[in-house]
Amino acid sequence: MNHGPGKVLSLKGLTKWYGEKLVLDHIDLDVYEGQIIGYIGPNGAGKSTTVKIMLGLDTSYTGKVEIFGQDIKESGVAYKKRIGYVPEAADLYDNLTAREYLTFTGELYGLSADTADDKARLLMNVFELEDVYDSRISSYSKGMKQKVLLISSLLHDPDILFLDEPINGLDANSVMVFKEILAQLAAQGKTIFYSSHIMEVVQKISSRILLLNDGKIVADGSFEQLSQKNKEGSLEEIFNQLTGFNEHQNLAEDFVRIVQRDNR
Amino acid sequence: MKNFNTLKVLDLFRIMFERFEIDYWTMRRIIQIKLTMDSRRPTTIMSQNMGGEKKKDTNQFLKSLWFYALIGLTLIPILFIGDNFMFQMSLIFGVVMFLIMTAMISDFSSVLLDVRDQTVIGTRPVDHRTISAARTIHVLIYLLFLTAAIVCVPFIVGTVQYGIVFGLLFCVTVLFSDLFIVAITALLYYVILKFFGGERLRDIINYVQIGLSFTIVVGYQVLARAFEFQGIQASFEPAWWNMFLPPVWFGAPFAVALNGANGWYYEVFIALAILIPVIALWIYLSLLPTFERNLLKLMDQTGPPKKKATKGMNRLASLLTTSKEEHAFYQFAERVLKNERDLKLKIYPSLGFAIIFPFVFLYNGYSAGQSLESIRSGQMYITIYASMMMIPGIVIMLQYSSKSKGSWIYHVTPIDNMGVIMKGTLKAFLIRLFAPVFLVISLLYGLLFGIRILPDLIIVLLIAIIYSVICFRMLKGTLPFSQPFESAGQSDGWKTIPFALLIPVFGGIHFALTYVPFGTWVYLVILLLIVPLTWQKGLQR
Repeated sequence: MNHGPGKVLSLKGLTKWYGEKLVLDHIDLDVYEGQIIGYIGPNGAGKSTTVKIMLGLDTSYTGKVEIFGQDIKESGVAYKKRIGYVPEAADLYDNLTAREYLTFTGELYGLSADTADDKARLLMNVFELEDVYDSRISSYSKGMKQKVLLISSLLHDPDILFLDEPINGLDANSVMVFKEILAQLAAQGKTIFYSSHIMEVVQKISSRILLLNDGKIVADGSFEQLSQKNKEGSLEEIFNQLTGFNEHQNLAEDFVRIVQRDNR
Repeated sequence: MKNFNTLKVLDLFRIMFERFEIDYWTMRRIIQIKLTMDSRRPTTIMSQNMGGEKKKDTNQFLKSLWFYALIGLTLIPILFIGDNFMFQMSLIFGVVMFLIMTAMISDFSSVLLDVRDQTVIGTRPVDHRTISAARTIHVLIYLLFLTAAIVCVPFIVGTVQYGIVFGLLFCVTVLFSDLFIVAITALLYYVILKFFGGERLRDIINYVQIGLSFTIVVGYQVLARAFEFQGIQASFEPAWWNMFLPPVWFGAPFAVALNGANGWYYEVFIALAILIPVIALWIYLSLLPTFERNLLKLMDQTGPPKKKATKGMNRLASLLTTSKEEHAFYQFAERVLKNERDLKLKIYPSLGFAIIFPFVFLYNGYSAGQSLESIRSGQMYITIYASMMMIPGIVIMLQYSSKSKGSWIYHVTPIDNMGVIMKGTLKAFLIRLFAPVFLVISLLYGLLFGIRILPDLIIVLLIAIIYSVICFRMLKGTLPFSQPFESAGQSDGWKTIPFALLIPVFGGIHFALTYVPFGTWVYLVILLLIVPLTWQKGLQR
């Protein structure tokens, strides 16, 4: 593993109960500058919960979360200035225009209104969205909304990025631009936490892959390391193997049989 | 972005916020964004043309303030019904507090419960105190506007009539009752969120909204009649159970200051009026962090599993529908009518009116001097036609849905006869909405007028079925639940009027036939023959 110069994030014995259910089970993890981490796992494995905890949205956990060397329970909210976040559910105030929304979030990160506005407009230009900069976000397509979220997460040049299904709805060309952006950011020492269900993309862009299953990290390493260890060809197959899922054939057969059952 | 006047006023209190370690400028910015969003109606249809001309932002809430001011006007008579302040002011506070509380729940829930705040603001470097302060101030701004609108007229009239002491007392007590309401509402949400999920809370809010629109109209009926009781001599004897009536607490200071009332009861009331709001507010503030955490529950949409339709309802559905497609649409429409909150909000209040109106007419007849005996043996049961007034209004609402985009399902499925969609929907409407109302009224009328009106009730039922089909023509073939609410215009109300005018005609025919020997029976048979015909011919598209 390529251990860059600095450790930016560290989880120690992170445990989270949701009622009676153990969501995260003593997670230990160190993350270094310049890593693009593919954070994968089946639905309900605890991916979003981890991200929410690191963003300070959820404070009812045990264990220790250190970001930039400080325990986030003690450091206050200042550390969030160096974090960018793209939420999964495309939650944003969509009856604002892109200008209003991006200026607002930029200001929350401490930029001045003019700087945020300028930068946001230029970034919208890059994505060829300059025409709709003053239209309400509710009129945008899914891909356009996703681009706004992406701009909003990067406007303040953060050192850590948390991306939750960031390419949802983007077309193939935009995805290429997006991947290149991530690669360049990582080359400059930014850390990217990338969680997604699209294994091909994760396999391609990640320098390190973390597989979470039942609240535990079951695999940690570069794609090459994982495929050597598990003797499987693609990340999808490794994922299936490590999460103990091998009945896709049977399930598919069941499904098709039920579909065709009442045909006469 | 607009620099709201409200915010300029807020700037005066900047020092105060900073003393509480609140990041004032960030808070101000959040409130500014929130106010901007409030001034824009949720856009679905209008924003479709992207980059289109700029729409003017109008705040619907500020417009509705005129309406609340009007309600405030109706409080004036209470000020003049005597000089027993304990009684009058308790009554006024009762009305005011009820209005504010229900308006809080129906209009500001979206403010208090906006989960997007978590992802948009919570993930940014803004501390919890500032977020909570922004939310509280945002609600307070509206609460102050609302309160001012309601009490404005009574305040001026009262001060002119009873002097400056009254005015000052009124200001202070109203503020305390506001505090009480904010804290109580928030605590209510807290408790609901703690023990139930977000879905249940949304349901409860929905029912309060329905109740509010219902109460306002019925309240008018009652208030209009209140003038008839002008002669009442209001006297007030304090009793121990008054302690559980918050409006009475706030009435007490007036009695002491202006009527010279004394006694330990009054002291207790005044103490409660001051202490309870303060304590409630203190509890609210100390629970705020947990409250915000519980708000996360709103994010997951899962609620308690809905009860499955009973076997009886399923059998009824199969019995009433003639084809598989129609059955499917019947079930579909029934579920939508049962589950869609926006639709319920528009429809359910008129169900309440449908129950009330026949009795209002009946009561008018009674107060016009007829004796109960002569009513019971007469034809006043024709007033049951008043319950049909709900039909055109509801039928026209059946074309709307907040999820109207889902209507593509009609076009991709291989249905060659769109009539089955209409039939299924209309049957669901009749069974799910009309039938319960009709049953309740019929039962009460049956008790009042006796079994002899049974054939008449059947006639009314058949007329209602025919009438629904006629009203369905209003939609001109628009498919059910296929239009967004935003496209509902003022013209909808006008469109229903000619149809509503048919009701007295139906009633008149029925009334005339009661004088013809066997008239109603012949009518009944004819209707029985017409009903299937209208269903076959009337619902083709």
